[in-house]
Amino acid sequence: MAKPIVAFAQPAFRAHPQTLAGLLVLAATATVILIVSRRDAEFGIFAALGLGFGAALQRSRFCFNAAFRDLWQFRSGRTMKGVIVGMSVVTAGFGIHMYTLLPNPSLGVVAPEAHATPLSLALIVGGLLFGIGMVVAGGCVSGSIYRMGEGYVASWVSFAGIMGGLLLAAHTWNWWWEHFIRDAPVVWFPRYLGYGGAVALTLAGLLGAYLLVLWIESRGGPDIREAAQPGPVETFGARVRALVHAAVGRGWPAAVGGIVVGLLNIFSYDVHMPWRVVGEVSRWATGLGGLVGVAPGPLLGTEELAACTLAVGGGLLTHGLLLNIGLFGGSFLAALLAHEFKVRVPRNPVRYLQSLAGGVAMGYGAAISLGCTVGAFFSAIPSLALNGWVFALALAGGSFLGLQVIRRIP
Amino acid sequence: MLLDVRGETCPYPMQKTMDALDRLPAGEELEVLVDHPPAVETIKWLAARRGFAVDVEPIGTSEWRLRLRRKEGVVAR
Repeated sequence: MAKPIVAFAQPAFRAHPQTLAGLLVLAATATVILIVSRRDAEFGIFAALGLGFGAALQRSRFCFNAAFRDLWQFRSGRTMKGVIVGMSVVTAGFGIHMYTLLPNPSLGVVAPEAHATPLSLALIVGGLLFGIGMVVAGGCVSGSIYRMGEGYVASWVSFAGIMGGLLLAAHTWNWWWEHFIRDAPVVWFPRYLGYGGAVALTLAGLLGAYLLVLWIESRGGPDIREAAQPGPVETFGARVRALVHAAVGRGWPAAVGGIVVGLLNIFSYDVHMPWRVVGEVSRWATGLGGLVGVAPGPLLGTEELAACTLAVGGGLLTHGLLLNIGLFGGSFLAALLAHEFKVRVPRNPVRYLQSLAGGVAMGYGAAISLGCTVGAFFSAIPSLALNGWVFALALAGGSFLGLQVIRRIP
Repeated sequence: MLLDVRGETCPYPMQKTMDALDRLPAGEELEVLVDHPPAVETIKWLAARRGFAVDVEPIGTSEWRLRLRRKEGVVAR
């Protein structure tokens, strides 16, 4: 078999133009972090965290959409296994941090900033809508943002759709609040089981989910892996180049991505809040809506809720803004360093419609289920709350329905 | 057979490649042009599951040519 050309095997080193551009972007982002850190150290931390999330998602192709969809479509659990490994790490980290925030969890209150939200029909409808939307659009909210950084034009259209969906949801939020969310129960496991029991239960649930993924894979055919080829990496220089290539050149294994993203999520909560994406995007959507005269009225109940609530107003510079801008910038940076940046324009015009419609469904769904695949899933299950599991089931169902839709769109 | 899926994102490059493999006549090779990095890994893995060997050749910035052919002893469907 002809071997693909591998960069570290080349004797002469010649910098790729995207490497140089990547180093320039790195210098620019480092400068921005230094500037915002002078105003407030936490701003610098959240800018760096955002960049870390973006780079890790890009490197490991950490796509929540593929995690769910590939289970149905290809009976492949490669991405989902990485997501589960990541959530197990986050579960331990969040458990310890919540204990320090609220040593006695049996008092009837939930640890501050934990993503424990009401179990209502809105959560299920939102999860189904989100699952359908992400498969039709070809990426969830965090996925669309990191793809924007990689140069995917359709992802910019998805993002516009997400903002439209969030704005639409803001105009109907009070109905969902009054009919479903206000009186729905919040089930936060530490209240009943203590932190130890809740962490053990969540880890057992994640182990069960991992076994379920293995079972799905076992029904899709043999798992064929090519044997690792011993390369000519003997000298010190060659070994260093191989290390650099593994970090910034090749894609990371999904589990490595899960662990890195998980550690960043724990750090984010330690400083302020679990990783969130869509609440901040809703602030941009309602703000832009206000500019064209379609701002929503007062949103009921949002101060009583945790996780990613619809938001209006607030200061310009927030932790959420830095996380999302960083997510975009980190992905752009990582794509440049890996020589994977390319402006990709879909040739089939139907793809733009898919991106827009899928985006609207995701935006609306995320608003009524108080989060996307990040806030209502990846940060919610490790918050030791039942709503994360309910949302996951709804996402799985939605992605199955979404797959039936795209199978009919050639 | 040539399949150009440049500009397409998940899951279209994988799905179209798998559909083309199902139609590929015996003895023929499938050539896929792709610019979606995750698809390169996924197609390699899915094709291996169906008994195909895959050669990957970079042909530009974030663009690859994949050559898929049946391994010995694997018959066309």
